[in-house]
Amino acid sequence: MSAELDAVAQADQSPTRRLRIAGLGLLLPTLSGIGGLALWELAVHFFELPSYLLPAPSEIAQVMAAKSHLLWVQLQYTGLAAVCGFAVALAIALGLGALIAASPAVERVVYVWLVVFHAIPKVVVAPLLLVWIGFGMKSSIIFVIVFTFFPMLVNTVTGLRSADPDLLLLARSMGGSPWHVLTKIRIPSALPSIMSGVKISITLAPVGAVIGEFVASNQGLGHMLIQSVGSLEVPTAFAAVTVVSVFGIAVWYLAEGVERAVIPWHASQRGRGAED
Amino acid sequence: MSEIRLEAVTRRYRSARGVVHALGPVSVALEAGRTTAIVGPSGCGKSTLLRLVAGLDQPSEGRVLLRGKPVLGGMPGIGIVFQRDLLLDWRNVLDNVLLPAELQGMERRRATARARELLAELGVADFAERHPWELSGGMRQRVAIARALLTDPWLLLLDEPFSALDALTRDQMGVLLQQVQELTNTTALLITHSIPEAVFLSDRVLVMSARPGVILDDIPVPLPRPRHLAMREEPDFTAITRRIRTQFERSGVLTA
Repeated sequence: MSAELDAVAQADQSPTRRLRIAGLGLLLPTLSGIGGLALWELAVHFFELPSYLLPAPSEIAQVMAAKSHLLWVQLQYTGLAAVCGFAVALAIALGLGALIAASPAVERVVYVWLVVFHAIPKVVVAPLLLVWIGFGMKSSIIFVIVFTFFPMLVNTVTGLRSADPDLLLLARSMGGSPWHVLTKIRIPSALPSIMSGVKISITLAPVGAVIGEFVASNQGLGHMLIQSVGSLEVPTAFAAVTVVSVFGIAVWYLAEGVERAVIPWHASQRGRGAED
Repeated sequence: MSEIRLEAVTRRYRSARGVVHALGPVSVALEAGRTTAIVGPSGCGKSTLLRLVAGLDQPSEGRVLLRGKPVLGGMPGIGIVFQRDLLLDWRNVLDNVLLPAELQGMERRRATARARELLAELGVADFAERHPWELSGGMRQRVAIARALLTDPWLLLLDEPFSALDALTRDQMGVLLQQVQELTNTTALLITHSIPEAVFLSDRVLVMSARPGVILDDIPVPLPRPRHLAMREEPDFTAITRRIRTQFERSGVLTA
C-alpha cells in the first residue's frame, strides 16, 4: 500500500532549480539569436557587401520600420489566404480521413490518387493555377489547400486506426454503440496523431500562400517579395521574408498551444502544462 | 437454476496454419452468488471461455446460457476486469469509472454517487480527480474494478486481473476483491494461472488441461469466509492446492 503511495508521489523539483532551468531555457536561445545577427552585421560591414547582395540586419530593420504599414497590409492579405486555405484543408483531411479509416473500399479507390497527387511537384505546376483559376486570392487559397492537406490526412487516417483493440473490446463489452465507440474511444485516441499532422501542415500554410502569390497575385507578401527581387530592392525582399517567417513561427506556437489544450493527457504533453 | 450454463461448448479458430482447436468440449453449470475460479496453463483456452461467457465471442459448437438465455455481446449486467486495466488516458479516474454509465445511458448523478462510493470501498477515493498515468499499477487495477462494478452487475468476469501486478500488491488485491464481493454478492468467474489465488478467492475451482482446454477436475473450496492471507499455509488450504497441482502433474502440464 505504502509502496503504491510512494509511486504516486511525484518527483518534485525544488522551485529554484526549476526557475534556473526555465531561465536558461530562455536565455540561451536569445543569446544565440542575438549573436548570430551580430555576426551577420559585422560580416556585411567587414567585407563591405553591397546591399543588393546581402543587406545588414540593421538595414532590413530600417526598411521594415519605414514600410511597416505596407508590410502589415500585405501580411493581412497573405495571412487571410493562408488561414482560409488551411481551414479548408483541415476540413477535407478530417472528412476524407474519417471516410478512408472507416471504409477499406474508399481507401482502395482514393488512396492511389492521393499518393499520385502528393508525388507531383506542386511548385512546378503552380503556374498552371494562373491558367486554370486566374489571378487573385482564390489561387493562393487553393495552393495552400494543395500544399497542406496531405500530412493532416495521412495522420488522421493513422490516428483513427490506431485505437487500442482492447479498448474497443472493452467498449463493446459494456454495450457501447458504434457512435459511442467513435466519440469516446476512436476520436480521443486519434487526437495526438491529428495534432502532429496539424503541426506539420500549419507551417506549410504561409509558404503555400507565398508561392501562390508568386505566380497569381498582385498583392500579398509573395508578390511583394518577387517584385522587390525583380527591381533589386533586396532589403525590401528580406523584410518581406522576415515577416513571412515571423508569421510561420507564430502559427507554429499557436498550434503548440492548441495541442496542449486539446491533449493535455498525452505522454508528449505531460508536465508541460501549468495545471500540475 | 444455475446462473451460467455451458452446454458442450467448443471453440475452434481458423488460422494461417489451419484450424486450431482452442477449447472444449466443456459442459459446466455455475451457481448464483458464488465465485468460481478456472485455473489452467497458458494457452489452455481459459480466456476464450471467459469471452464466450461475456458474449464477446461465439462458440463453434454448443451454447452458453446466462440465466437461461443465450448470451449476446454487450449484455447489461456483466462487469469485466481484464488483465490490462484499460483505463482511458484522457479521462480522470472518476470519469473512467463512469464510462459504462455513459455507454449504457445510466443517469449521471446516480452513477457519480455510486462511482465515488466504489472508489472509497476500493481505497482510491483520494485519486478521483487524478489521471490514470499518475497512479501505480495496483491503483489502476482498483479503478478498473470499480468501473466493472459501477452498474451493479450480477455477473463479474475477471480475466487474470492481477497477473500484471507484483506479488505483494497481488495479495493485497486478493483480500480487497474478497471484501468487495462480500458487499456486492455477485456471481463471479475468475480466470487465473495462480493456484493459491484460485483457491483463496473462490468457492469452487475448475482445473483445465492444456489446449484444447477441457475440465480435468472440479474441486469445491469449503473454506470459511472471510479468509485471511495466513490461511494459505493451513492444511485445509494446502490440501486443495496439492490436489490441483497433482492434476497438472498427471496431465503433463507440470513435471515433478
